[in-house]
Amino acid sequence: MDNTIRLPENVLAFARLELQKIADELEGIKVVVLATEDGFDIVSAVRDGSDPSRIAAMASSISAISTVVSEEANLGDSKNVIINTVSGFAVMQSIIRNDARLVLNAIANEKAVLAHVIYRTSHFANSLLTL
Amino acid sequence: MNEYKILFTGTMGAGKTTAIGSVSEAAPIVTDVANTDLSLGKERTTVGLDFGLLTLASGDRIRLFGTPGQQRFDFLWKILAKSAIGLIILVDNSRSDPLADLVVYLDGFAEDLSVLPCAIGIGRLDTHPVPTLEDYIDILANRNQLVPIMSVDVRRREDVVLLIDTLLAQLEANTFGA
Ligand SMILES: Nc1nc2c(ncn2[C@@H]2O[C@H](COP(=O)(O)OP(=O)(O)O)[C@@H](O)[C@H]2O)c(=O)[nH]1
Ligand SMILES: [Mg+2]
Repeated sequence: MDNTIRLPENVLAFARLELQKIADELEGIKVVVLATEDGFDIVSAVRDGSDPSRIAAMASSISAISTVVSEEANLGDSKNVIINTVSGFAVMQSIIRNDARLVLNAIANEKAVLAHVIYRTSHFANSLLTL
Repeated sequence: MNEYKILFTGTMGAGKTTAIGSVSEAAPIVTDVANTDLSLGKERTTVGLDFGLLTLASGDRIRLFGTPGQQRFDFLWKILAKSAIGLIILVDNSRSDPLADLVVYLDGFAEDLSVLPCAIGIGRLDTHPVPTLEDYIDILANRNQLVPIMSVDVRRREDVVLLIDTLLAQLEANTFGA
């Protein structure tokens, strides 16, 4: 896909390394995908056969819908969205860089600890903002 | 007073967001973000849904929903089509193969179209006269789908209202479905 988003090589390298670490180090992670705000996957680490491109599109929809909800309620910019289910959860973290508006999506099963995943995804987001 | 939900779909840039904005009474809900796909020359694109409200002269209230156009969002097509009483498909005649574009949505919504009325609006026929309305009618006839089709400019409120009226007329006359 020909995309207008060109992340600097050091950012891409960091994202590849860090997403793989999140997938390897945190128990229960099924897949982590860094995507553009309009739903294209850029970097991903997959452990369960998920299709990153579908996850990227869904994360983009959910983030956009969350944004209108938070605007309507005067809650300020949406930082993340969490879908908590009986057998796991999905965390979608917005990452607004000057050169790219991104969404990080982590999907985990019931073995994962929500707080750990949020800690790592927020930390990843902050790192991407300073790189 | 009745409340109806109508769904707008069609390719990116066909005018779904514009159509809903043209007729909605309150400020429409828009979930457009920056488009990064270079193969589609458009600045912003809908990735969630569009929503608007319209009260007809009869007092009936129409809830208007719009889908994202791109096929990678087809998981939303099904969700948004739930409980809709009709489907409006918009086509942009300036694209490279608008007939194929129409088929994408006829196929993508085939299940819904077997039970719901539909109206098709072709945009930019004034500047891009080919394919003609007859070409579209041939495609529909070959598929045994009798769907009203018209030339529209969705920036004009009356064109969008005509599409909606065409749907409601089919509901009243019960002349739709496969
Ligand atoms: N010239 C011309 N422009 C149109 C016509 N219909 C729609 N547009 C423009 O095409 C664009 C459609 O964008 P949008 O509504 O976001 O499309 P969506 O992707 O289907 O939601 C808008 O800029 C409209 O003003 C038409 O018949 N003629
Ligand atoms: Mg749109």
